[in-house]
Amino acid sequence: MSNLFSGINARLRGASSKPSPNSKSPISPTSEDGKLNSPGGLSQRSLSSSNLSSPSSKLPPVPASPLPPTANMTGSIDDELAAYHLPKPLPLWLNPAYAKQIVKGNFMTLSRRPKAVEQGEWVACQVVEHYRNLWNFVSIVYQKEENGQSICNPTTCPRMSAGGNHSYTWLNNRFEPIELPAYEYMTLMQRWISGKVDDEKVFPTNPAGVSFSQHQQLTPSAIATDGFDEYIGKRSGFPKEFSTICKTIFTQMFRVYAHLYWAHFVEPFYHLNLEKQLNSCFSHFVLAGMEMAMLTPQELEPMQPLLDLWAANGTFPPDSKAYESANLKAGNRLLQLAGMA
Amino acid sequence: MDNQGNRLYLNFGNNNNNNNTDRLAASDRTQYPTTPSTFPQPVFPTGPSGQAPTPQQAQQGYPQGYASNNYYNPNHNDPNAGLAHQFAHQNLGGAGRPQNYSARGPSPGQRPRTANSQGQQPGYGSYLNAPPMPSQNSGLEFAPAPERNPDKYGPNANNNQKKCSQLASDFFKDSVKRARERNQRQSEMEQKLNETTDPRRRESIWATGGRKEGQYLRFLRTKDKPENYNTIKIIGKGAFGEVKLVQKKSDGKVYAMKSLIKTEMFKKDQLAHVRAERDILAESDSPWVVKLYTTFQDANFLYMLMEFLPGGDLMTMLIKYEIFSEDITRFYIAEIVLAIEAVHKLGFIHRDIKPDNILLDRGGHVKLTDFGLSTGFHKLHDNNYYAQLLTGKSNKPRDNRNSIAIDQINLTVSNRSQINDWRRSRRLMAYSTVGTPDYIAPEIFTGNGYSFDCDWWSLGTIMFECLVGWPPFCAEDSHDTYRKIVNWRQSLYFPDDIQLKPDAENLIRSLICNTENRLGRGGSDEIKRHPFFYGVEFESLRRIRAPFEPRLTSNIDTTYFPTDEIDQTDNATLIKAAQAARGAAASQQQEESPEMSLPFIGYTFKRFDNNFR
Repeated sequence: MSNLFSGINARLRGASSKPSPNSKSPISPTSEDGKLNSPGGLSQRSLSSSNLSSPSSKLPPVPASPLPPTANMTGSIDDELAAYHLPKPLPLWLNPAYAKQIVKGNFMTLSRRPKAVEQGEWVACQVVEHYRNLWNFVSIVYQKEENGQSICNPTTCPRMSAGGNHSYTWLNNRFEPIELPAYEYMTLMQRWISGKVDDEKVFPTNPAGVSFSQHQQLTPSAIATDGFDEYIGKRSGFPKEFSTICKTIFTQMFRVYAHLYWAHFVEPFYHLNLEKQLNSCFSHFVLAGMEMAMLTPQELEPMQPLLDLWAANGTFPPDSKAYESANLKAGNRLLQLAGMA
Repeated sequence: MDNQGNRLYLNFGNNNNNNNTDRLAASDRTQYPTTPSTFPQPVFPTGPSGQAPTPQQAQQGYPQGYASNNYYNPNHNDPNAGLAHQFAHQNLGGAGRPQNYSARGPSPGQRPRTANSQGQQPGYGSYLNAPPMPSQNSGLEFAPAPERNPDKYGPNANNNQKKCSQLASDFFKDSVKRARERNQRQSEMEQKLNETTDPRRRESIWATGGRKEGQYLRFLRTKDKPENYNTIKIIGKGAFGEVKLVQKKSDGKVYAMKSLIKTEMFKKDQLAHVRAERDILAESDSPWVVKLYTTFQDANFLYMLMEFLPGGDLMTMLIKYEIFSEDITRFYIAEIVLAIEAVHKLGFIHRDIKPDNILLDRGGHVKLTDFGLSTGFHKLHDNNYYAQLLTGKSNKPRDNRNSIAIDQINLTVSNRSQINDWRRSRRLMAYSTVGTPDYIAPEIFTGNGYSFDCDWWSLGTIMFECLVGWPPFCAEDSHDTYRKIVNWRQSLYFPDDIQLKPDAENLIRSLICNTENRLGRGGSDEIKRHPFFYGVEFESLRRIRAPFEPRLTSNIDTTYFPTDEIDQTDNATLIKAAQAARGAAASQQQEESPEMSLPFIGYTFKRFDNNFR
């Protein structure tokens, strides 16, 4: 592990890695990443990324929009979507006609933990599945053609951005945020995640270690022996920091999804007829991540309008956490704009 | 969760309450007294997607619901760019609909003005004749959708596109199936919990259930690899791979592991067949079909982990005993009828039923294997291939074998020596790329199409071999066999010195015949009703004692496999050696995981039932 990380860091130092200007990407110690860097977070310290320009913890009452003033002269408060400061015209992926799925029915059937299954076991399996799904899409923009060009490259995506308002940095081992081309960022993300997922100590694989979930009435003797679980996965042999690691993985995966939507939805996914597949994997990802508390609402901001839309059009079932934290009015507004309300 | 604080920026300043659910429910109800249930939902056209609005949608939609684009449309600032364009791409179903909307009356909730929402609710009617307002939101529109053009990307991207699309749909199909089965198991468990009040019993039901589900999840997320198994013996070798008896290191369970060489499969165009085999085995629950536990892959091999059937195969039995009595033949043929029937019920034509593919389980009962993985019949659909075989010269060097070229061998007792030759080379043939065509129906390689009944032909040839001692179209090389099969009317010959009962000969002749007259064409019952099977109780056949029961000393006993005749060097070793010889440069070239290589996508298979029941 450690040599891998030092390798990455060396590479980061070698690259033109200037710490991003503070004004652009303020790091607040109390930010989400503070949590991610929590003690026991293994190598998070050197590698954890930070959510930069979205000031998620402290919100100015009227966020200054980096976008040019719009035709919306009567004031942005008038529109449900205004607070998102979306570019105009609205990105294609917010168009309900392109926010469709390859699956029908209630996604929650897929994300609901079977009652007797130990929570850590469930989370672990979800992490791996979502990671496999995400990487399918990443490989399209990531794999180089004969000429050495990938669709996502430092020219198309000099930053790991999710629209004009968000870009993500990676922390180097001196805790300095590094702006990276998205391609580079995804490389690091991939290495970091597979480093965790393939680590027997973090994601144990021996079937003999599997436990079950405790049940107040049904499993009194297990509770008597083990007490109530102090942390997720304890009974099944997952390490203490397992839950934190999984949260970071989910956060990282979310950022990559956000980048794919903001920078690559049309080029190439729409052109390759893959937007429904992307939508389905992403909505399943968000639903599962929220349900297991692996994703928090504030992290979702760059994609929130799409999530609102999915709440409004029935993709997110009303009893899901993703639905609860969505703004239905914004979603309905999008439906209405498309003539689908 | 903490919707407070951080989420406020999404709340448009119109409320400072804490919980989103509360916010939405409460504020909406106060604003819009009409309850969602009375709202005439059908008024809303369903979108082009055909999605019906959910109740929530309707509820939320109400304030804004009528404020469709259509309303703005006539006065739209830029009719060319915006909505018109958008409609063109959305397939909204023609120009008629906008008018409908207007006729229905403009919307009261025109302005999605939640910030100062107090003012907007009353007097819907007063808006009815109001002129359409110039939209304040006219700047809001979606980016136009360009014409889709996948060709603008390179071959790798397009290749990845196929993978991605396939993997995504596989993922959801598998997940839905798993969820369904999981729920099923869940209710079974609850059923069990309800059946007892003993707390210890209840705890154990819960714990076992949870553990099994958890182990399955662990199994799903873990990549199996050959290193997880110890090889005990190589029990079969073929052109495309080998079958090993293996023992799982973690739990000591015994399996047969078939490993197929990817490059060979690729070269010989076997991919569709492997996929077919995986599919049929994965779906089947039949006692007549070999059970498949899991499939996985690495850079060089595809692996199929199957149940180990210690009784060996019918080929080995036939080599050993030469002929069977009529009673024994009746038993095996009857079982094979049921096995073929089971395969057909799964919607699958085996096409390569032969003694090598008929395995015997612990109790000596029959199970079919090798679906789509025939040794030799590469390009099964390529008629040219067969045409070439039929007309052209034999492509097989006649090295060590009897070099006397005899075009038509009439196999009678007089040339027993030749038969023995044939028998000796029998296993070699089975392991070669060419394989043995002996049991294949003529219509498969004459190219006039074939159907389920081609498997009944094969049954006839196997029955012939059981009673006579060699297959009916046995010949010096496969080239000659092909010709004999096609000319079956001339070449089917029952040796004079072997007396078959008339029923037996009649059954064989009704199977080895042209497809129009073939028994079984109208279903397996035709065959079961044949007088040869008089007295056979097909329903209970699998439960009676088999005429031959393997005598085993342990669960890893390979007595019934010709392990002495099989080179015990495994292919992985050979491949590694070959790669080392070629230099290490090429060896570590894998950029992506082997599952991601397009032809082998969807191969990996994991199932709860076969592993955790």
